[in-house]
Amino acid sequence: MSRLQGPLALKRKRPDSNSPSESLTEQERILYDVIRSKQDMGIWTRDMKRETNLPDNVVNKSLKSLQAKKLIKEVVNIQNKGRKHYMAAEFEPSKEISGGAWYVEGSLDTEFIDLLKDQCAKIIYKQRVATVEGILDVIRRTGIFKVEFSTQQIEEILRALVLDNVVMDVKSNGMGEFDSIPVGKVCYICTNKGVRGEPKAGAMASIPCGVCPRINLCTPDGIISPTTCVYYNKWLDF
Amino acid sequence: MVTPYGIKFAVHIVTSHFGNLVAKVCENLLKRGPLTLQQLVRFTELTSVQVKNSLLILIQHNCVQAFSAEQPDDIVNGQIQTQYLALFDNILHRLRFPKFLEMVSQELDKDCEQLLEGLLQHGRLTQEQMYERAKSFKSGVQNDARESFQKLVTARFIEQCPAPEPFVAEPSPDETPAKKRGAKSAKVVEVRKTLEQCVLEAAAPMEALRFSIMTNLEAENDTEMSKDSSPIMHAGEKRKSDTLELDGEFASDNKEVTLWRANFEEFIRCLRHKACVENVRARLDDGAAIVLRALLKATRAAENKVKMENSASLSLNSIFEEVMKSEAGRSMTLDRVRASLVQLGCPSSMAIDELYSVDLKNNIELARNDEVESIVLKRHGKDAYRMFRLLSKAGRLLETDKISDMTLVEKKDTPKILYKLWQDDYLYMEKVTVTVPRQLNFLLWKVNKTILYERVLDEMYHAALNLSLRTAYEMDQQKEVLAVPLAKRTGPLEKQCERIKKVKIYLESSLMKLDDAIMLFHDF
Repeated sequence: MSRLQGPLALKRKRPDSNSPSESLTEQERILYDVIRSKQDMGIWTRDMKRETNLPDNVVNKSLKSLQAKKLIKEVVNIQNKGRKHYMAAEFEPSKEISGGAWYVEGSLDTEFIDLLKDQCAKIIYKQRVATVEGILDVIRRTGIFKVEFSTQQIEEILRALVLDNVVMDVKSNGMGEFDSIPVGKVCYICTNKGVRGEPKAGAMASIPCGVCPRINLCTPDGIISPTTCVYYNKWLDF
Repeated sequence: MVTPYGIKFAVHIVTSHFGNLVAKVCENLLKRGPLTLQQLVRFTELTSVQVKNSLLILIQHNCVQAFSAEQPDDIVNGQIQTQYLALFDNILHRLRFPKFLEMVSQELDKDCEQLLEGLLQHGRLTQEQMYERAKSFKSGVQNDARESFQKLVTARFIEQCPAPEPFVAEPSPDETPAKKRGAKSAKVVEVRKTLEQCVLEAAAPMEALRFSIMTNLEAENDTEMSKDSSPIMHAGEKRKSDTLELDGEFASDNKEVTLWRANFEEFIRCLRHKACVENVRARLDDGAAIVLRALLKATRAAENKVKMENSASLSLNSIFEEVMKSEAGRSMTLDRVRASLVQLGCPSSMAIDELYSVDLKNNIELARNDEVESIVLKRHGKDAYRMFRLLSKAGRLLETDKISDMTLVEKKDTPKILYKLWQDDYLYMEKVTVTVPRQLNFLLWKVNKTILYERVLDEMYHAALNLSLRTAYEMDQQKEVLAVPLAKRTGPLEKQCERIKKVKIYLESSLMKLDDAIMLFHDF
């Protein structure tokens, strides 16, 4: 939404709403208001120049001075790391800019994610049936992670685990293993593959042709053929 | 779905079973659709006799069905010509004979298996011919064979042969366009499929007659009364004249002889049920598998086609009764059975009589997904696997960034992986350009299952062909080694023999497993 707020929205802003900004020059004020109007989306330097109609050198100078006054900060935009983005100091980068909670300095923290995924899977495996809240509770109590997680974050991790086919999401029917969970509540159980096991390879995936990148070029009498196939030779090398 | 590699594989099977000439005729029929004898002679450039003999073999083995229809070109003359239609499915079933035999030996007994083996070897036989064959194997009384035969018919594993040459009215032009939807390639297949179905429907004996032995007994009595001196020889001749009506050359003088053949439909149905049960066992647990097996076993006769979406309904009491029949089910209580039915996705509270029916289509669909997903995992890795599963579950277009967020994959890697999947035809892509406030390109992705499954199936046929070609090649390479008598196989020679044995087992078992997957996508 904030992306659409142009100069029109800016006009409605009261310039005296922020006290440190009083000591600013005219150009700095214009620039600062533009940056601040973008809220947690921040703004690219080129867009700044276009919207304020200020000359390049003025913009650059003002940016430096604003930064020195700690009114704005430079942020990494996940979409375009090469472009310089600025944002008013009081905002935290939005999900679109930072890439969300799983991004650190503009790149995905895969190690951390894998660790958390592993822990979640282990908790579900131990509890047999677990809800998001239950998992979050265990993580908090054990204190394995120093950071605090939101329910949404754990949900995202669980969704990835479901897509990994490590756990399954089911609705509680209130019977048997589910008796402590309200009926209809989504909960998670382990798939039969266990915590670490790879999903069982299908018939096709367990023969060379199933994973062959060149199967489209393979013909019975061609240069690539089942009789001359190197993958087959490897496979049948007893 | 008959795909290009499907045809190649079918031709390969025919070549290895019946030789090149027959394969040539069969290939033309598979590629061009139904043809008349003259057309076949022209296309194959074989002599008329060669083509005729090839057709005889193919008909005898249920790989070709003859039918008569008015040719559109000859409509002026009102000529009715005999055309020949290759039955793709039946050709592939030849690969599954070991599975069929195994099933009969499990469900019935060894004698039945032997009887069926003869039938599979010869394609079509009369009752007497089957008994004769049984006698030559075992010195048992003919009554045993008769009993086995009856068992096979009751279990619907064998059936009376269809009419040799049914008349099929050309589908009227209004009928076809309605079915012409979707991709162009699908169109051709669809139309031909309908013709195949028409012909098969027209040829099939009435349901009541299909599994009735009574009519046959009468015929048998006739034969015995008139020519009790050499009924077998005579029956053999008549078999020919009955099935092989080619241009009236062998005028059919004796219609009452009934020929029997294996009922592939029933075998495929059983294999489908088995696959569903095994699928449930892997997904849920043994209890659910036992219950589903009992339900399917009890309602098998009620199914009128192979690709049933839901199993027939059965009351809880009947299911329980059936569960008790199996050894593994004897320890289950009624509550346990009911719980398993809930697991299987049956709504728990139904009408007073508690009728249950299980969704089989979904079960098959899940198994298909597993198969395709495991290929994606092996070929493209874990991240691609997650993306594919996300899109496959979503069933609608999703944007690149959204996919990246949901699968927790690095934003800049996501398009690359998706693009690779798209290149391999696993995904469908749509480009959307937004010009306000500034030009932005969005890529949307989706899994198109219909197209994907056809492609996967074609690749499976290709792989199956490769497996059998490799088997033939390996055997050919080691011909000399294998020709050495057992006693002389020492040192490196022995090792080589061991290797070739292993290779053979490896390749053949892989082919059988792959065939299960082919059935999953084609027959189930």
